[in-house]
Amino acid sequence: MAHIRIADADVSFECGSDDSLLRAGLRANLNLPYECNVGSCGTCKFELLSGEIKVLSENAPGLSERDRKKGRQLACQCMPLTDCVIKVRQEDGAPAKFSPTRLKVKLIKVTDVTHDIREFQFQGVSPATFIPGQYAMLQLPGVSGERAYSMSNLPNDEGVWSFMIRRVPQGVGTQVLFDALALGDQIGLDGPFGKAYYRSESERDLVCVAGGSGLAPMLSIARAWSQKSKGDEESLTFFYGGREPRDICGETMLQQLPEFNQQLHFVPSVSGAGLDATNAWQGRTGFIHEVMHGFEGLDYANSDFYIAGPPMMTQAVMDFLRESHAVPQERIYFDRFF
Amino acid sequence: MSASNLGETEGAVRLCQVNDVAEGNGLQINLPERPPLAVFKIEGHIFVTDDTCTHGQASLCEGEIEDGVVECPFHQGAFEIATGKAISAPCSVHLKTYQPILVGDDVFVHLDKSSS
Repeated sequence: MAHIRIADADVSFECGSDDSLLRAGLRANLNLPYECNVGSCGTCKFELLSGEIKVLSENAPGLSERDRKKGRQLACQCMPLTDCVIKVRQEDGAPAKFSPTRLKVKLIKVTDVTHDIREFQFQGVSPATFIPGQYAMLQLPGVSGERAYSMSNLPNDEGVWSFMIRRVPQGVGTQVLFDALALGDQIGLDGPFGKAYYRSESERDLVCVAGGSGLAPMLSIARAWSQKSKGDEESLTFFYGGREPRDICGETMLQQLPEFNQQLHFVPSVSGAGLDATNAWQGRTGFIHEVMHGFEGLDYANSDFYIAGPPMMTQAVMDFLRESHAVPQERIYFDRFF
Repeated sequence: MSASNLGETEGAVRLCQVNDVAEGNGLQINLPERPPLAVFKIEGHIFVTDDTCTHGQASLCEGEIEDGVVECPFHQGAFEIATGKAISAPCSVHLKTYQPILVGDDVFVHLDKSSS
């Protein structure tokens, strides 16, 4: 165990030699800045004032030339070799409700969602504690590094963690999940992580925007929204974008919620590529931000927006919300994945 | 004070005086019913941008300025002050910039004419 002290703050924490400075800090219930946990978003920057570290990814895209010149590092990519003193700005307010812990979980069920997305359910021995919208890091057998996936179910005492995962062509991680892992096999799970979690105390309308396996966290949020006590006027509009008709999913899960087609509306769209006569798609077409533009019935001034999907989609929706409707940042929630 | 600059200020909002902004610094300008603006002075030139970082709720006027770049005090994302271009993660959305109009010592901008 290394002792990590944050300079200019009366705070220190212990970090195992196999743990990142970021995760160890979060385990110690500190409100450290981060989003992706995999070296890409650049939110968890810090400066090493003393001590030695091992850097997992020297070329992490989250660090710019400017950052490197200034000697900055990413807390998610650094493990301590000795005790360290670091300089990092802690976020305002309280950290997320549950600090992350490492668990062993067993694969108990696999279900096809679309042609390339499957739901994987894992069982742990302790309650599955997280807030809808959060993610976990999965350590798969024979795969170096971990993969971040969002939970699709609700937190539960039974210890069940559900993920919807899209097969990545030639992806080593998803190859193990889709082709090698058998029911009963054990993997490592570290979580929960993520700050784009559902703020259930809000009484504003809810808008969920999902693409690809971003369905999972949005579904978890929709399920939590359904369970909370709320006014008859509080609505949920759930947009889902895919490239082709066979990519569209989510409706069968949302249909199980009592508000479906009443307070809850599902709005799928295909972006056009792959559309032809044989597909016979009768629904909306276009990118999700274009569909939102033409969709009447969204109260932009009185809604919270949660987004999960490919980076291009997230960026386009965010630009649209900010530029066309001046939605303030504090009502737009997303964690960037790459 | 030139006549052409006087004409350009029609419908524009006066933000401050050039001398209100210290060299190499930003001055936050709060206006009613809209997010604050930042007026920067870099090597004697005035630049106007949105003040709030495009990534988090931070004031860029509180950030470090170096080589024409302002760095967000929250997560060290960075923007080119002259263009608003986001040049360092976690910022990916460019900052809106406004063309300053100088009339004598006064700095004006058209709020409806931003580029990002």
